[in-house]
Amino acid sequence: MKLTRIAKVAIATAAAAGLAVSTLTPANSATRSTVVLVTSNQLTGLNPSVTNMNLTFNSEVAYMQSFGFNYYDSSPKLVENKLFGSYKIVSQKPFKVQYTVNKGKVWSDGTPITGVDLLLSHVICSSSYSFAAKLGDPTDNAVRPAFDALCYGGKYDSHHVGLPTLSADKMTVTIEYDAKIPDWDITGPGPSAVHTLVHLAEGKTGLQSAAANLAAKAKFEKAFYDYNTKLMKAAGDIWSKAYNITTVDESTNPLLLVGNGGYIIKSAITGQSVTLVLNKRHVTNPSGPKTSGVKTVVFRVVGDGTAAAQALRNQEVDIYQGQPTADSVKILSEIPTAKIIGGDQAVYEHIDLKAGTANGISEPYTGPFAGDSQKARDLRTAFLMAYPRDEIVDKLIKPINPKAVRMDSVLLLPGEPGYEDLVKNSGVSKYTKGSQSEREAAALALVRKHSATDVKINMLWGQPSNARRASEAQIAKAALARAGFDLNAPGRSGWSSYLDSSEYDAQFFAWVKSAITQEGNTDIFYSDGGNNLVGYKNKTVDKAVELLRGTLLSEKDKLAQYLIVEKELMKDAITLPIFQHPGVTAVNKKLQNVKPNPLSPQLVWNYWEWKYSK
Amino acid sequence: MFSYVLRRLGALIVILFGSSFLLYNLSAISTDPLEDLRLSDAQNRDYLIQALTRELRLDLPPPLRYFIWLRGVLGVFVGNPNFGLTREQQPVVEAIVDAIPTTIRLVAVATIVAIVLGIALGITSALRQYSRFDYGMTFFAFLLFSLPIFWVAVLLKQYLAIDFNDFLVNAKISPPWIIGLSTVTGFFWATMISGSRKRVLTIFAGAFLANSIFLSFISATEWLSYPRLGPIAIAILGVGIALGVTYLSVGLSDRNAVKSTLCMALIGTILYFPAQTLLDSSRPRVGILLLLIALLISGVAVSFLFSRIDRGPVIRTSIITSVLIWGLILIDQMMQAWRPFVESDDVNYRPVATIGQSTIWLSDVSFWVRVLDFAMHLVLPTLALTLISFAGYVRFSRGTLLDVLNQDYIRTARAKGLTERTVVMRHAFRNTMIPLTTIMVGDVAGIVGGAIITERVFAWQGMGTLFNKAINSFDLNLLMGVILFLSTLAILANLIADLLYSALDPRIRVGAGK
Repeated sequence: MKLTRIAKVAIATAAAAGLAVSTLTPANSATRSTVVLVTSNQLTGLNPSVTNMNLTFNSEVAYMQSFGFNYYDSSPKLVENKLFGSYKIVSQKPFKVQYTVNKGKVWSDGTPITGVDLLLSHVICSSSYSFAAKLGDPTDNAVRPAFDALCYGGKYDSHHVGLPTLSADKMTVTIEYDAKIPDWDITGPGPSAVHTLVHLAEGKTGLQSAAANLAAKAKFEKAFYDYNTKLMKAAGDIWSKAYNITTVDESTNPLLLVGNGGYIIKSAITGQSVTLVLNKRHVTNPSGPKTSGVKTVVFRVVGDGTAAAQALRNQEVDIYQGQPTADSVKILSEIPTAKIIGGDQAVYEHIDLKAGTANGISEPYTGPFAGDSQKARDLRTAFLMAYPRDEIVDKLIKPINPKAVRMDSVLLLPGEPGYEDLVKNSGVSKYTKGSQSEREAAALALVRKHSATDVKINMLWGQPSNARRASEAQIAKAALARAGFDLNAPGRSGWSSYLDSSEYDAQFFAWVKSAITQEGNTDIFYSDGGNNLVGYKNKTVDKAVELLRGTLLSEKDKLAQYLIVEKELMKDAITLPIFQHPGVTAVNKKLQNVKPNPLSPQLVWNYWEWKYSK
Repeated sequence: MFSYVLRRLGALIVILFGSSFLLYNLSAISTDPLEDLRLSDAQNRDYLIQALTRELRLDLPPPLRYFIWLRGVLGVFVGNPNFGLTREQQPVVEAIVDAIPTTIRLVAVATIVAIVLGIALGITSALRQYSRFDYGMTFFAFLLFSLPIFWVAVLLKQYLAIDFNDFLVNAKISPPWIIGLSTVTGFFWATMISGSRKRVLTIFAGAFLANSIFLSFISATEWLSYPRLGPIAIAILGVGIALGVTYLSVGLSDRNAVKSTLCMALIGTILYFPAQTLLDSSRPRVGILLLLIALLISGVAVSFLFSRIDRGPVIRTSIITSVLIWGLILIDQMMQAWRPFVESDDVNYRPVATIGQSTIWLSDVSFWVRVLDFAMHLVLPTLALTLISFAGYVRFSRGTLLDVLNQDYIRTARAKGLTERTVVMRHAFRNTMIPLTTIMVGDVAGIVGGAIITERVFAWQGMGTLFNKAINSFDLNLLMGVILFLSTLAILANLIADLLYSALDPRIRVGAGK
């Protein structure tokens, strides 16, 4: 016993004395060249155009590897990418549009990008091509066509006429549509490295020579116009399956990784990370490669918000975008090495009232809000009047985003052009004038006109574990009780499958906007619309929606139609928006030009502008 | 015995069937996999809903879907199992096989450290029953026992990663810190060794002083920024290891053992020099192995040289010593990789990591930098898991040892005049290990499945993350795959524990009483 003690003390002292003295130089860090982003999702495939692969994160990774005709900026607004090419309407009747690729653009393997690379878009979007080339029936769910593509059944599929034609220099593609369709600019083609698809279909396992690449491209062009079933089927098989990989390493076929974006995947570990490195051949600017010093972009999968915040504080990650709560915003704002960029998501919370039986539901809705009678209309109006939207925004959203405002239009988001006018004229003022208590009193009077007792209302929301939704329901219950409604709103898990159920009279949830189109979200109120969950039927609205859907309108005409729809909605007391979901992005203070975009590809839309300050 | 095992395996199948049926149906009715699609405004929404409905067979009621799944699983018996695909179209078996090594890496080190440390402290605590040390250990054991891992993780990340990385930029330890840390160390040794008041004070003062000198030295030389052991430190630590191992193993009175282990410390120090080129070569793994072989051979040779009779214990002691010295040389090699590691653009002067298994994009670096990177990612999760799980081992080994020490055969051993070391290490400790073994086996099964929270807070992608993901993305195939794997493991571990118990303890027979 004694000996060990002495031994221990001796060891400790001697070890201290025995340590070698090292040279002294202060640590100093150079400018970083790596950007690490946190993602809560994992990569499931490299080709987001395949049916099951269209996840936000797959699209973000794909976006960084491709450079197309347009993108959404952070406004969000569609921007024509003049650095890649241009597009224009060349004929009104028949309606023809033309896409031209700029000269000098190359894929990461050096092959020039031409109009031939735009032809694949037709193959993956056109059902008629699939039939003509015997590639299978895109509407058959049991046996998928050769190209298991997401694009079938979309606007391009239903409106294009014939095959796209190539110009003599093969840099321009012209597409004809059967009508002057709205949103033709986002319906058009994008570049795909067709020569790699041909190589892969032929079983090649490595990058090929420049001559072989050009030959493969010519082969694709010929096969495309000849409806060559054999080659197209093999290409389709590759296109639908070979890209569905989650691991990328040295053994991955490099043909799968050819792109034309600023960065190219170098490695991916299933469920963990995706690493992209600078594409040396990417030319975003005619004068030469324009990059800002970021050589590597890494996506790391981190599921836990606190872990991500601490990793940001420890400077292991540079960008974190998360589900904001008042607490998480506070934690993030206290990180000295990071800055917070607020902003809104393209997701908005709203309250819907059932007006009738939803499409495809057998059990009829017979609740207090059913039908077009004066009573039902008054009750709906009273309900929306008393709905405490201001209180919800003030108590639940402002602590997260101090700039948050109450939404007053369901078709436009606050800040979008035309929003102010729409709100002024739509009749939403019925639900906004006066104070909350005045509105409650007015609502109570309306209710008492028809019912001496409180009206029982079943309201649907979910998940019960969502704290914000639970608070919303609580606030609503209290306010509506003062307006003569007895709200039964316990929250329901699996709620989304009950949205069209006749069990409920009201429901609040959020719609997600995935693109900016002329039709917008008017489909929700179309009598036969797939998203019409409240059984709302209104001929005036239907007419406006059909117009918006079928014909390209000027901005002014579009807003006029929006006003018609919105006026009817307010008159019939069907729905009211509440707030836009707040977003929070925390970024390494030294990293410049990170601008969150509410639409996909969200954060990475301007990756070429990212740079570190000294 | 055979029929007992068969009976248990039969029960296994019944339990697996019942639990999987119940869990399948409960999970199937709990969420709506179409939720995202229902709320989307995508143009082909109806088509997507149809496709997913078809893919997941949502048109069928859950019990029917269960039997479709079960048919695939029962293929195990005809050699053609089908556990289905995950939502990402990856075979479930593949996903699980990918995740297991990660989980094992995470829990293995933590479990071993927890067991070794827990047993050591538990035994010390039992030997000093009702002393200050014992009460202190009891207090800490219960404190750690009651801490939730996610909270421990947050604290560890804040203090040992974020703050420590900030500190490492300068790596100067301020005097208040030196005094504080030395006081804590002093208290630890004083209470652990304990004795008369004078003795306690002496130990406290000694430990305090030694620690202060040590820390001041580290601070002054910026050793934390430029860590290195070097031959001198290896020699000194080697001597310490030699004496310590000999004491615990055969006692310092065995002069032959002392001589051979000390000789090993000397050989280790000499081997340090050729080891440098060996380990830095293009094939470091071969170097590591060669060094170990060299040390083991010399260990055996030295024991033969110094001992004539009863060579077994001496050889054993020398081998343990050589393995530990081998570890020292490897640690030194990792320390030499510290600067290139810390200075690389990817690590950027933040060596202690809070998330992930490695700095994935680290490329073109030496073997040792990569090893160091793995180690730095392992530090916090291992520490967190160790902290919360070792408390149980402390309490358990303390209780068991006290139990054993009161047995008659211990009194007999003492009466025979055996030394206290022999009584404790040979007679008592070995019997303490019997119940502990069965606990360890059960724990390992529990830990593989139970690292869900740890994996989440440290962003590791193992079994726990898989389980979590399966729940959140309504991936029934994956969920059932994980559950099936874990429940099989748990039931088998229980069986093994029972069998092991009967093998270790002749007083117990399985299947008896029937």
